[in-house]
Amino acid sequence: MEDIAIVAFAQTPSYRRYPDSEPALLMGLVNAILAETGLERREIDFTIAGSCDYLSGMPFAFISNVDAFGAWPPVYESHVEMDGAFALFEGFVRMQVGDIDTCLVAGSGKSSPGRPREIFPLQGDPYYHAPLGLDPVSMAGIQAQCLLTAGKACERDFAEVVSRSRRDGQSNPYAQVTADVSPDELLKEPYFASPLRKHDLPPISDGAAMVLLARGERARALTRTPVWIRGIDHRIESHHPGLRDLTTLPGLEIAAKRLAIHAAPIDTAELCVRYSPEEIVLREALGLDQGTRINPSGGPLCGHPVMATGLTRVVEAARRIARGDARRAIAHAASGAALQQNLLCVLEGGA
Amino acid sequence: MALPPVSFTLEYPYTRTVGPVVGPFLTGLRDGRLFGIRCRGRVICPPIEFDPETGETLAHDFVEVGPGGRVESWSWIAEPTRKHPFQRPFAFALIRLEGADTALVHAVTAAGPEAMAVGMRVRAQYRAERTSAITDVYFVPEALAVDSYVPPGKGEVGITDHLISLVYDEPLTAARERYAQGLLAGRFIGQKSPKSGQVFIPSAGYDPLSRVLMTLADDVELPPTGTVVGFTVITPVQYYGQKETEPYIRASILLDGADTPLGQQDIRDIPAAEFRVGLRVRAAFREPASRSVDDFTNRWAGTGNCIERWVPTGEPDVPFEQVEGRMF
Repeated sequence: MEDIAIVAFAQTPSYRRYPDSEPALLMGLVNAILAETGLERREIDFTIAGSCDYLSGMPFAFISNVDAFGAWPPVYESHVEMDGAFALFEGFVRMQVGDIDTCLVAGSGKSSPGRPREIFPLQGDPYYHAPLGLDPVSMAGIQAQCLLTAGKACERDFAEVVSRSRRDGQSNPYAQVTADVSPDELLKEPYFASPLRKHDLPPISDGAAMVLLARGERARALTRTPVWIRGIDHRIESHHPGLRDLTTLPGLEIAAKRLAIHAAPIDTAELCVRYSPEEIVLREALGLDQGTRINPSGGPLCGHPVMATGLTRVVEAARRIARGDARRAIAHAASGAALQQNLLCVLEGGA
Repeated sequence: MALPPVSFTLEYPYTRTVGPVVGPFLTGLRDGRLFGIRCRGRVICPPIEFDPETGETLAHDFVEVGPGGRVESWSWIAEPTRKHPFQRPFAFALIRLEGADTALVHAVTAAGPEAMAVGMRVRAQYRAERTSAITDVYFVPEALAVDSYVPPGKGEVGITDHLISLVYDEPLTAARERYAQGLLAGRFIGQKSPKSGQVFIPSAGYDPLSRVLMTLADDVELPPTGTVVGFTVITPVQYYGQKETEPYIRASILLDGADTPLGQQDIRDIPAAEFRVGLRVRAAFREPASRSVDDFTNRWAGTGNCIERWVPTGEPDVPFEQVEGRMF
């Protein structure tokens, strides 16, 4: 396997409503990464982006987004209708061919123009689920109830995830919703999708994230603090909730095992916890204990720019490693209802 | 005053074939019956085409299940979306029907969340008007169930319709807003890239050539005169909703000083035989009160209903070589 490192990263704040266009969101990040590495745009060998036209209701918006990378010289690029973390997966695999040295990976989305709870059901089964308008919030409520019934969590556990995350978000300059609020206070709120309360849900956000990958010696030449991708894997659970035990993620367990995530201590885990109960499910599936700091950024509960939320987990984990706050970290991204699709990535510092 | 947000509806009317497994299930719903499919000793409901463990194609061995079942998990939806089966609070639930080994996700209507519990018994109810879709059925607590006669339909369900209809609201971006306000005031406002020097109208707010975001400071006013750089003559086809009867021209006009042409300009009073690339024209704006930019979005903006007509100036044509490369 080729040694691939994240050599630069950037993200926008998570905005409730970003007033400019999606290409504008991305363009600032492209320029920041080129400035930091001193690279010319023509030195980017491959570009891959993750976005979703349905979010802002503009067919072929992903084509407009290519404007952000510069119209000239022509861009060698690809696109996934998935979170930027899945674009990272494709970029990583593409680099294994060994013929390119650099790859720019982006994830972006503007959820503010549309109504996410009406859009997301369209990613479900078109016969059995989409016509019911079965949305991720409702599925998160059903998953949360499964945890309660199985005795794996109580409502206070959900509130504690929210309380800790929103407090951690206070020191994250990119966070959108933060608070210093106790679990007791949170538990006084009414239900929204029982047993979930509104604070168990992520905010509606606009935003983007980006990383630059480089291979071997090129990575070492571009930065003094490369963050190596030691492994990346993604797995899909059935899209029929009735065929799953919603409190477990056997696919993610396989990914964790194959990546040998416990072969060395995991200092930080940036997990795609969009609904607070998801942290309970993920912690168990990944076998994380008190030795691992979970979502020091505050996680998606503090900002959920759909299509960039997963790649933002990679950026947050990479930032902690590059800064020396962690030596080894895992980043997780998810897609689909009730953690149906999961991506896991092991990151490590060192020359 | 800022223009109101752009509001639009995006629709995709899907007509899907149902295949050999979903078809019989939807046929059952139409006729007031629920079916699962056998899979190595288990019964899976709703039925699926492949064994979830091995991926093997399942034999079309259907088993009638329900109409009663047990709630395995649920969530009370306090604020339903427009797309939910009920427009009043209800529960989504995982329901294991009698005779099935797996749960179905569906809606349960009940008095309130206090009427819901894991393990409670529910029963299928059918809509009076069924459309061969999963929404033909819903569930209620068993004690409230009313079994009514569901008359069977004719033949097998082969198609299910699903209209995707999404609404969006978005303010115009700052650059688009200033371009629109300019047109309403009878002026052409573009932007000049501080890096490449290229002049864009309408501007997206950035220069994609040199990757620079532009601001108010980069706005430039362009004159109402320009050159035709491309056009097409459209002969209307008489389809439903067509309002045009006579051939008309759609032209791209490069304003003097601009590097990108204004597209889709409506030409009505210059004969097609006289219309040509290189022709010099001047915009005649409508009266201020009759100007509008209602069709603008952040994705596309023409000139709205702001320009009455493009008038030939009588100047000599611009040679083709000078506009080549600016035609779009």
